[in-house]
Amino acid sequence: MVGRLFLDYVDPWINWDWLSQHVPLVLSALWDHITLTVIAVALGLVISLPVGVAAHRWRWFRLPVLAATGAFYTIPSIALFALLVPYTGLSGTSAEIPLVGYNVMILVRNVLVGLAAVPPDVRDAADGMGYRPMVRLLRIELPLALPAIFAGLRIATASTIGIITITAVIGVGGLGQLILKGLIENFNTPLVVAMVLSVALAFAADLVLAGSQRLAMPWARSR
Amino acid sequence: MTRKIGMGWLVAGFVALTMVVAACGSSSSSSTSKGTVTIGGFNFPESSILAQLYGESLAHAGYTVNYKLLLGPREIVAPALESGQIDVYPGYAATDLEYYNQGAGEASGDVTATNAKLNSHLQLLGLEALTPSAAVDQNAFAVTKDTQSKYNLTKLSDLAPIGSQLILGAGPECPTRPFCQPGLSSVYGITFKDFKALDTDGPLTRAAFKNGSIQVGLVFSSDADLTSLGLVVLQDDKHLENADNVVPIIRTSVASADVTTILNKLSAGLTTADLVTMNGQVELQHQDADAVAQTYLQAHNYFA
Amino acid sequence: MTILANTWRWLINPAHWRGSDGIPVRLGEHLHLSIEAVVIGALIALPIGVILGHYGRFGNLAIGLSNLGRAIPSFGILVIAFRVLGLGDLPIVIALAALAVPPMLTNTYVAMQEVDADVRDAARGMGYRELAQLIRVELPLAVPLIMSGVRTSAVQVVATATLAALIAGGGFGRYIVDGLAQQDNAMLAAGAVLVGALALATELSLAGMERLLIPRGIRLLRAPTAQPMIAYKSA
Repeated sequence: MVGRLFLDYVDPWINWDWLSQHVPLVLSALWDHITLTVIAVALGLVISLPVGVAAHRWRWFRLPVLAATGAFYTIPSIALFALLVPYTGLSGTSAEIPLVGYNVMILVRNVLVGLAAVPPDVRDAADGMGYRPMVRLLRIELPLALPAIFAGLRIATASTIGIITITAVIGVGGLGQLILKGLIENFNTPLVVAMVLSVALAFAADLVLAGSQRLAMPWARSR
Repeated sequence: MTRKIGMGWLVAGFVALTMVVAACGSSSSSSTSKGTVTIGGFNFPESSILAQLYGESLAHAGYTVNYKLLLGPREIVAPALESGQIDVYPGYAATDLEYYNQGAGEASGDVTATNAKLNSHLQLLGLEALTPSAAVDQNAFAVTKDTQSKYNLTKLSDLAPIGSQLILGAGPECPTRPFCQPGLSSVYGITFKDFKALDTDGPLTRAAFKNGSIQVGLVFSSDADLTSLGLVVLQDDKHLENADNVVPIIRTSVASADVTTILNKLSAGLTTADLVTMNGQVELQHQDADAVAQTYLQAHNYFA
Repeated sequence: MTILANTWRWLINPAHWRGSDGIPVRLGEHLHLSIEAVVIGALIALPIGVILGHYGRFGNLAIGLSNLGRAIPSFGILVIAFRVLGLGDLPIVIALAALAVPPMLTNTYVAMQEVDADVRDAARGMGYRELAQLIRVELPLAVPLIMSGVRTSAVQVVATATLAALIAGGGFGRYIVDGLAQQDNAMLAAGAVLVGALALATELSLAGMERLLIPRGIRLLRAPTAQPMIAYKSA
């Protein structure tokens, strides 16, 4: 199947010549995409853990956190990227701030759900065994909350990979640069390559996270 | 305990990955490079071609060149230059003048005067315009052959009486650009029925012509595919458009004698016919902007 | 902050409520695109999810394909839709519908699967034939989760419809894209606020509809869900 636009030139979905001559361009876009994703998810997790724990611990904190993050989530990412440009420029920073924000949004909620799911009996048992609250948190509650946290990480990662393509409109983009190139230069190949690599990247990331989840929860392995 | 060890490794691995990624993310320039130059480009193919032309001449002379192409209209690219995120972009003298003077109407058909005025505004920002090229690409307004014969159109003044029946299509920056919609209104007295935000002389504009959602559209005078698309450019009889010669706009701090010489040399050899040819290679033959630039440079022996 | 003040001023300016670029027109365009996309997506996702879920077949395939669908970048699929179908509403609606299917398909399949086996047995024991069992017993029990999927999808479509402006589409995304091109931050922020408000309104109205559709008996049984788990964000 071929894509046709006005002229007699018929643009194949993938022009293999172009692809073979532009491997560095494609790989550079892919690497940018991976970098942006890892930073966004890692920072999101680093921020969400303390915020989620605090929201779990202090009930009055919970509602404002949920409300604020929920509101932020409805704002379309393209607007946030564009609004940051006068302040942080056409840079990875303008891309990362909203991305991290969205990931915090997802992960805080999952941390909360995970911690809330810890059975009270387990907490009591821990207290009975003499665990101090902080130690109980780190060694009992958080590990038990891991399934929910990992579920959040998988969603956050998939979302982030998709949204990064939009940052092409502020000169960042990763694989989104190839999509933009396909649109502006009336050319299918970079567009198709970007789509295939995005989906592949999302699947690979999901596999890595699923694998990490099994590694991190050895007690859940033998069923 | 396996659980603790597993968690520990996981966290360590995560942290290590992040550090590796962050470290690799920062660019490493070769120690033999004369310096780094970042070239920006607008969101249409000709700008990518020009950026590649200038960039590859610099790279050949030993500079490390980074490209930030397809950034957007001047409203996005100029601030990036002013803040130092890019060092140079291939501008167009008259349009750049009217951008940096906030539409004061100083541009004219005289490229030397226009460029001088442009520099007087740029100096205050730590920027400068180098020597303009003979190659020109200015805004042009086109209609389909059907529209032309229907209303008997040859020049833009012909649109004034029938403007209210026609829809104008251009990039989303057009309603605020002196050489676009406001100019058509003030110089020609044309008020359109509606405006459709598309792209700057790109596939969206061409698609809109084809499906009839616009009758008048902004194209570029150096486009190569207008005839094959059945589009006719209306003559700019009241000279709304001015000396839009290609000229690199560069940060003074980057404009060393060497860099200036290299860029000026390229500008001097560039003609409007060259632009049309290279645009044709991208628009009609689907070659890539950097390949087209390479071909030009080799054909003109810049690497001799 | 002046940006907030300028955005407010932009929003209350009567000139921005008139004409073909006015808020009412853009709202109409945005709703038109979103509703069509969700309806088309539902017409595809719901029947497939119900049938597969009822028979318990091809579940992994369905969920796997759904995940594949979620991984597709929305910007890319809109550009592909433009290149295949050209300008206009059709390519946008089709691209958005494709993005709307995954959450609805997954939720519907899981919803049908979650219907208690005992309830199914009881229905069969009471003499319900297959189709009747499906419609009168299983579906009503599955409605909460199905509606939750529709709601998630709808909110995502409303947010993603902003990207339609990148391929000359209408809707509130126009304010964002044009604001970026003209460096008019008030218009840009106003567009963001409008989309956010519309997304919120969509969420609340569909949540309300959900309560109406849930059979009374179930509603009394179930505690209100806080919905802490958030679905993926596609734009």
